Amino acid sequence: MRKISITKYLAYFFLVTSCVVWVFPVLFGFFTSFKAQGDIMTVGFSMLPANWVIQNYISVLTNTSSAPIVQWFLNSLVISGSHTFLVVLIVSLAAFGYTRIDFKGKETLFFTILALSMFPAVVNIIPSYKIVEALGWVNSPLAVIVPGLGGVGNVFLVRQFMLGIPKEFDESARMDGASDFTIYFKIILPLVKPVLIVTGLFSFIGSWNDFLWPTIVLNDVNKLTITAGLQLLQDLYGGYAMTGELMASAIIAMIPTVLLFLFAQKYFIESMNLNAGVKG
Amino acid sequence: MQSENLLVVETEKKKKRKSMKQFAFIGPHLVLFLIFILIPTIYGIYASFTQWNLIGEPEWVGLSNFKTLLFDKSSTFHFQLRNGLKNTLLFVGLTVPLQILIPLTVAVALENKKVKFKSLFQAIFYIPGLISVSAAAIIWLLIFNPRLGPVNNLLSSATVWMVNQPNAWAIIVFMSLWGAIGGNLIIYRSAISGVSADLYESADIDGAGPVRKFFSITLPSIRFPLFYTVVMSTAGAFNVYAQPLMITNGGPEQSTHVMMMYIRQLAFGTGESVAGMASAMSVLLGLVIVSISVFQFIVMYRNSKG
Amino acid sequence: MNRFKKYLLTGIASLVLVTLSGCSNPNTITFWNPLTGDDGAYMDNMVEAYNETDPEFPLEAVISPDMYTKIYTVMNSGEGVPDLTLIHADRVPGFVRLGMLESIDPLMKNNTDLNADNYLEQAWVPGTVDGTQYTIPLDIHGSAMYYNVDMLEKYGVSNFLDDDVVTFEEILSLKGKLDEGQYAINNALIEWTTLANVVNRGGNIEQDGKPTIDTPEMKEVVSQLRQLAEAGLITPNGEDGYAIFQGGDVLFSTDGTWTSTAHDSVETLNWGVTNTYAFEPGTFNNRSSAHLFSMLESEERTDEKEQGIADFLNYVRENSMEWAKAGQIVASRDVFEDPEYEQYPQSFFTSSEEEKESLHIFEYEHYGYVEQALATVLVDMIYGNIEIEDGLVQAQRQVEDLVAQGGAGEVEAAEVAE
Repeated sequence: MRKISITKYLAYFFLVTSCVVWVFPVLFGFFTSFKAQGDIMTVGFSMLPANWVIQNYISVLTNTSSAPIVQWFLNSLVISGSHTFLVVLIVSLAAFGYTRIDFKGKETLFFTILALSMFPAVVNIIPSYKIVEALGWVNSPLAVIVPGLGGVGNVFLVRQFMLGIPKEFDESARMDGASDFTIYFKIILPLVKPVLIVTGLFSFIGSWNDFLWPTIVLNDVNKLTITAGLQLLQDLYGGYAMTGELMASAIIAMIPTVLLFLFAQKYFIESMNLNAGVKG
Repeated sequence: MQSENLLVVETEKKKKRKSMKQFAFIGPHLVLFLIFILIPTIYGIYASFTQWNLIGEPEWVGLSNFKTLLFDKSSTFHFQLRNGLKNTLLFVGLTVPLQILIPLTVAVALENKKVKFKSLFQAIFYIPGLISVSAAAIIWLLIFNPRLGPVNNLLSSATVWMVNQPNAWAIIVFMSLWGAIGGNLIIYRSAISGVSADLYESADIDGAGPVRKFFSITLPSIRFPLFYTVVMSTAGAFNVYAQPLMITNGGPEQSTHVMMMYIRQLAFGTGESVAGMASAMSVLLGLVIVSISVFQFIVMYRNSKG
Repeated sequence: MNRFKKYLLTGIASLVLVTLSGCSNPNTITFWNPLTGDDGAYMDNMVEAYNETDPEFPLEAVISPDMYTKIYTVMNSGEGVPDLTLIHADRVPGFVRLGMLESIDPLMKNNTDLNADNYLEQAWVPGTVDGTQYTIPLDIHGSAMYYNVDMLEKYGVSNFLDDDVVTFEEILSLKGKLDEGQYAINNALIEWTTLANVVNRGGNIEQDGKPTIDTPEMKEVVSQLRQLAEAGLITPNGEDGYAIFQGGDVLFSTDGTWTSTAHDSVETLNWGVTNTYAFEPGTFNNRSSAHLFSMLESEERTDEKEQGIADFLNYVRENSMEWAKAGQIVASRDVFEDPEYEQYPQSFFTSSEEEKESLHIFEYEHYGYVEQALATVLVDMIYGNIEIEDGLVQAQRQVEDLVAQGGAGEVEAAEVAE
């Protein structure tokens, strides 16, 4: 008994200290979004605003002519939502292919594309634009939804999890005459659901927070995504001139990803039972 | 090497089937990879053998860019490659181990059955990763602002943090970790909660302590996710760009000027683009990343085979 | 499985939604600009006001913080080139050499109001290359120096402003006289004030197209600034000089003309604006840039549309008082000679011929490289982290190496030289 409580207190101590450190900047940013510019620039530190103002939020939200935030929000939801759905579909199919179907050179193929995908993408923006342009996607949400689907990192992750599922599983189903698709859909997918949720969450956030590519391929201000849009309202590397507004816009833009995280978190804590599922 | 052996064993076991059904599964991803990753990457590699201002057609110069970068000691580009690579490697060396260890420790601590508010703890570690980088940088600059920030006001100090080493690196590394550990934490949490409870129970019966259980049960069981996060965190750390740009702008004395900053400055800087040289630099950076990943793969595979 | 099907349906439904994108009016003039933040809002107001006049060719403004990356991208593919683009003065020579800009001369022929006389000369000239006009200016924006009235009085040095030029000598005379935590000048935009003082000293950043950074003039200017830093008169390295000025602890803040709007929002700050510091009162320059309307090379732009663009430019010429609100020096004579304009602090820079002439825009084709290379070493030189000689040699070399890499046409020449 004593041993357990020592570990428990150790765990608590570690968690609480690191949480305080981690949460401090978040709260600081949050409270700053309710400070007036003069308050932010006052020498001497105070965590809470001297006067709570919502001016920063009002000025970000009411700039409807050059910054239709509600529209951007909807655009982002559609774009990040579709992107996430397609990622989960394509990635799980590919991971199944690389782990469950035997074909010559599959490991070589997989690790080759993984290595190739690790080259930093710098001037790639030019050929990527040319391709998107040739497909007629410029200024269409497709230009933001589709190109990211070729990423290999997610396939790697899901593949790692699928490798952990014993072969006996699908082999017994195959003896019963099940097709590859049935095995994929009815056996493997439910088992890797938690990791797919993680993948989906990461994809959604990645797509939500991307700003360079959307500003390159989307011209119409009404078609922009929220992160790219809000980037316009603030100088990318601006100084302290609009700190309060920058914080306010960052917090507005965070709402969906935070909600999604809170929703998804329930899943991967409760249902992440890969090995247990295998045993059942 | 090991993986190829595996492959041979597998293919022999299964007999050769000339079926194309794998393409039904890997096909969609492969096509998208070819169009949106491979072709642009090949174009980028091609550009590294050219002189190119992004507007006109690239002009083939053979190995000239690489010669300059690697051997011309008097060249600015050679200096940038050396300095940028040194700084990037330092960043990778400082962040990656912590980016693995901190979330792993948190994940293990959260596994303790007696710990309450697990979701709250997890959310606190994850939320920094949801804040846009520009807003995050402003927060950190304010925190370490010599006059306005909490750090100096609480310490009653007048230190200017960003212009001295090792402080400049410490802040960049810490800010990066602050935003980056959430992802790995989630992967570890999912992996650890998937480890069968039976294993721990039988270990309890054997009288194993928590440390012993961690090393002989938890760690081996989450080998693959761990491997994934090591590889991905490393590759990600090599691409570090926004944090040093916004926190120190490369200073003091270019000691935090990382590779991606040089590369982007050359390709999309204030003057005419020097995209050929920038591509050559990114190809070299890519080769470093791939070699390190391959090295990691080999080490991991060896270890996993005991 | 049911849930999975539900997700599938939602996914397909959202995809369908996505593909239902509208089509745009072929008469729309696409106008790209890099004006983020408040500037973008003021520009949008002008564009909106113009569209409300119901023109045949309405404008659609596209703001992009990465506009130059975007320009490279579309120019390279030749598709999606905007009709009208707002670029910075230092981009003009390079863009012209690469054949990226269309001449404005035909527009000027049909629209006689679009001529040099109607604009501030310093903003007009950067758009002229070899006798051809490539741009119509919107504004000049650049270095200004803000001063704290209360602090000047406190230290009894209001007389520094008598001749509208604060000299290094005057600043140095404050050595040892300032309270702890207070400073004479800050280091905001210090690359710009350095370059302006090189010109004050009779130097330049180029000679016959070759970059000249490692020069006696540059050395003199940087040494002077280093002396100020050693005397404790410049805000410390790494501190935000802009914030310290707003906090009321710096006498002079070298910053952009556009900062005035932000200073206005600080109630406790009693400020004014003057020229950036110089060696002597008679010779002063304020390093400037300009926002210039230009047409990127495109075959799709019809003559009718070009006329539509001219109509908009004329509208801006007559109605850009709005742009003064952004704190920029408006280039249109209609505006800067309007008494209403005098309420804006930046009107100081067009208040006399001498002031107008102080607005110095570097027209060196590789200005961008020069500023970048200088920025890399300048702060370290001023604060004594590296020797001035070493820093200048390094910056000189950097620009030379970059210039040698540029332009496909120059490749062969370089190879022959080897």
